[in-house]
Amino acid sequence: MSARLRKILLWAAALVALFLVPHVVEDRYFMHIVVMAGIFTILTLSWNLLAGYTGQLNLGHAAFYGIGAYTSAILAMQTGLSPWLGLFAGGLVAAFFGLLLGFPALRLSGPYLAITTIGFAEILRLVAMNWVDLTRGSLGLSGVPLLTPIKIGDFTMQFYFERDYYYVVVAAVLFTLFCIRRLIGSEFGVTLQAMRDDEAGAQSIGINPSSYKLAVFTISAFFAGFAGGLFAHFARLVSPELLALHNTFDVLTMTMIGGLGTIAGPILGAVTLTFLSEALRYMEEVIKIDIRLIVYGLLLILTILFMREGLVGVIKNSWARMKGGR
Amino acid sequence: MGAILTTERLTKNFGGLTAVNDVSFSLEQGEILGLIGPNGAGKTTLINLISGAFPPSKGAILFEGRDITRDKAHTINTLGIARTFQVVRIFSRLTALENVLAAMVDRGRKGPWSLVWDSFFRRACALTEDKEACATADGLLEFVGISRYRDEQAGNMPYALTKRLEIARALATQPKLLLLDEPSSGLNPAELTGQIDLIQKINAQGTSILIIEHVMKVIMGISHRLIVLHYGEKIAEGEPEKVYNDPLVVEAYLGGDSDAQH
Repeated sequence: MSARLRKILLWAAALVALFLVPHVVEDRYFMHIVVMAGIFTILTLSWNLLAGYTGQLNLGHAAFYGIGAYTSAILAMQTGLSPWLGLFAGGLVAAFFGLLLGFPALRLSGPYLAITTIGFAEILRLVAMNWVDLTRGSLGLSGVPLLTPIKIGDFTMQFYFERDYYYVVVAAVLFTLFCIRRLIGSEFGVTLQAMRDDEAGAQSIGINPSSYKLAVFTISAFFAGFAGGLFAHFARLVSPELLALHNTFDVLTMTMIGGLGTIAGPILGAVTLTFLSEALRYMEEVIKIDIRLIVYGLLLILTILFMREGLVGVIKNSWARMKGGR
Repeated sequence: MGAILTTERLTKNFGGLTAVNDVSFSLEQGEILGLIGPNGAGKTTLINLISGAFPPSKGAILFEGRDITRDKAHTINTLGIARTFQVVRIFSRLTALENVLAAMVDRGRKGPWSLVWDSFFRRACALTEDKEACATADGLLEFVGISRYRDEQAGNMPYALTKRLEIARALATQPKLLLLDEPSSGLNPAELTGQIDLIQKINAQGTSILIIEHVMKVIMGISHRLIVLHYGEKIAEGEPEKVYNDPLVVEAYLGGDSDAQH
């Protein structure tokens, strides 16, 4: 019971701390980075569901992100649909494409699946580039509407500033975290991990890998699309660049460095690397060398060589050592 | 009692190689049927055919009177046939408990989306907090004698015990027929005795068993009947003692083949 109480207190403390951040930090640029870190957290959590828990290497994840962003933006701009509904609509359309990408995954695995998913994202990126009537091509859609104000009685919550979006993104991250934790802990999650560890073994206990792969691709894509919608209404600019491969690699690097196949890993990786990336951008202006990708690459190599389990593994091990040392 | 499993003229070709050739046999309800033969005789292929790992080239498989020849592995498991593997195929990053829990889901009735639904609208927050399910799984771990590894990652367990975990996992699907592919390989003599006891205990609970085994001590001790495969063909069938002394069988094992003598 005391362990449970401690858990509840920890969560409460974390929530209060999260609530207070915008009241302590006034800097808009800093809050911008925090919001982006939140959006990337949702992306990494969803990618990790496929790569970390199901063993499906999807290198086309940015496509779902882009689809969500375009869907929500286009619906808001052309039909006047509330962006709040657009977020979920973006998720649903992305989920549909996730289901589509799930089908090749039934027959392909490993590098073959990876190449196919790259191709999938690249095709959709070209569609976004060339379907000028709908997407305005490489110019992208600018002036995507902001999230509409929420009125509760006399109190109206506007969404103008980074700090306003901060609360939306924190809620979205918590929603995603809740869903993914639930999924992973359940019979569904155990099934996915069983397939990841040994597909023939999984079949021998009645698991039909095909149907689970379709389901998990769909769910993963939903959250990526949802993150895309958030980005669209926050950045107010949606361009084909969102679907580009380098975004997926950012997500991959974040997840690997944080800890593949864990819940805390993607969160840790997304937050750390989003901040690191901004710091490096600042350095680039000083030293005039594009060092961001170099650093990312080096970090990825070092992670794979020396800390397979990522930051989460390092923290866990040193915690265990500290406890054992006493 | 009647047959629970029947194969009719089962044949499997891999390109030009005939791994299983025209094999017909029946397994009676409640029986332990031993499957022996020299290396490469097609024993594992036969179990792969029955468990649906791949379809036969010719012939038919009937389970409880139902034609399962073309059914996929996962369907065959939900019908009531479970198996273990020659080289263990456990879920190495899951704990022993989770390995068994994964197998306990009623997959004949519940597909992925119904499990997704369950993960949000179930009493227990996480599967490992579901007391009822865990009690059943613990019972199975106890039954095969690996309770102390309950929360250990399966990949870190000693090899001999992962073989037992695989049996527990197979039993968790509540099979009527259990296919055991060399459950004793890689075990030391002390572990062998334990394994024999375990298999007999499973059989005593009413589960029919088809077992491949090289260790004669095991197979002679527990089989009610034996089938001998040689180059994919069934060359003998019957009581263990009778089969053991069958000249054809002796020849197959000792290589009294006329070609070899020339």
